Amino acid sequence: MITKLSHITFFVLDQDKAYDFYVNTLGFTVNTDAKMPNGFRWLTVCPPQQPDLEIALLPPLAGGMSYDEETRNAFKVLLEKGALGAGVFDTPDCRATYAELKDKGVTFKSEPKEQFYGTEAVMADGQGNWFSMTQRKEG
Amino acid sequence: MSIAPEVYKKIVTAKVYIDDNFRESLDLDKLSREACLSRYHFHRLFTRIYKVTPHQYLTQKRIGQARRFLAGTNLTITEICNHVGFESIGSFSLLFKKEIGAAPTSYRDEAWRREEQAIRQPRSFIPNCFFENCGLDTPAAGEPAEKSNSQ
Repeated sequence: MITKLSHITFFVLDQDKAYDFYVNTLGFTVNTDAKMPNGFRWLTVCPPQQPDLEIALLPPLAGGMSYDEETRNAFKVLLEKGALGAGVFDTPDCRATYAELKDKGVTFKSEPKEQFYGTEAVMADGQGNWFSMTQRKEG
Repeated sequence: MSIAPEVYKKIVTAKVYIDDNFRESLDLDKLSREACLSRYHFHRLFTRIYKVTPHQYLTQKRIGQARRFLAGTNLTITEICNHVGFESIGSFSLLFKKEIGAAPTSYRDEAWRREEQAIRQPRSFIPNCFFENCGLDTPAAGEPAEKSNSQ
């Protein structure tokens, strides 16, 4: 029986910039940020109200011995295009969070719109991924 | 009833003001002035938008910064308490334990232990699939090559 998701990977172009976006701009908490002796950096962050979900921010080129060059390059191309859609983040108020993040320089692919399930905007993390930011309809 | 865009702007301005100034002494009077709203309307609208009261949000910001200081610096508990805007060690410790479930000192000890373990025994908490897919199977110098005992 599977009960919940504990770890997930977001591939990113640059871990330092990803740290800045997820921690300083979005307000996620750092679960672990540790550099291994071989240079691999294990960086995981958690959404503010979800401390048991670790999001590993990993560049596809880090370590990468099991990815052949073609695969690594394919990842890089997709990330540079911003083509990877990584998921949906919940927000208590989409329009307020949109206004705040827009002021902080976050790029949005679409501004808040009413959908049948709530209010949704689509933002990019600047690292190759886009997300829905959704305020679910109450009731 | 929907909130007008200009009112959103006011509440967001006050929320960002907390983000930038949580180290200072902030109260409802000061925050509602930042938002150019009455205390009552500011409190009501802030709580409606963010699902926490302004005071609860301020406490969360302070606790969050305290966690970062505890895990990532050598500052004393008293210094951290002052840096994040709490007025007394007593209230800091009490609120920290209530929010996080551990006293500041215990939280720091655990954070430092985990960080050290991450370097010395990464297999003890990084899922094995990441080792395989990130090419970490070859132990670096000094790293024990034991199998993961978790995940």
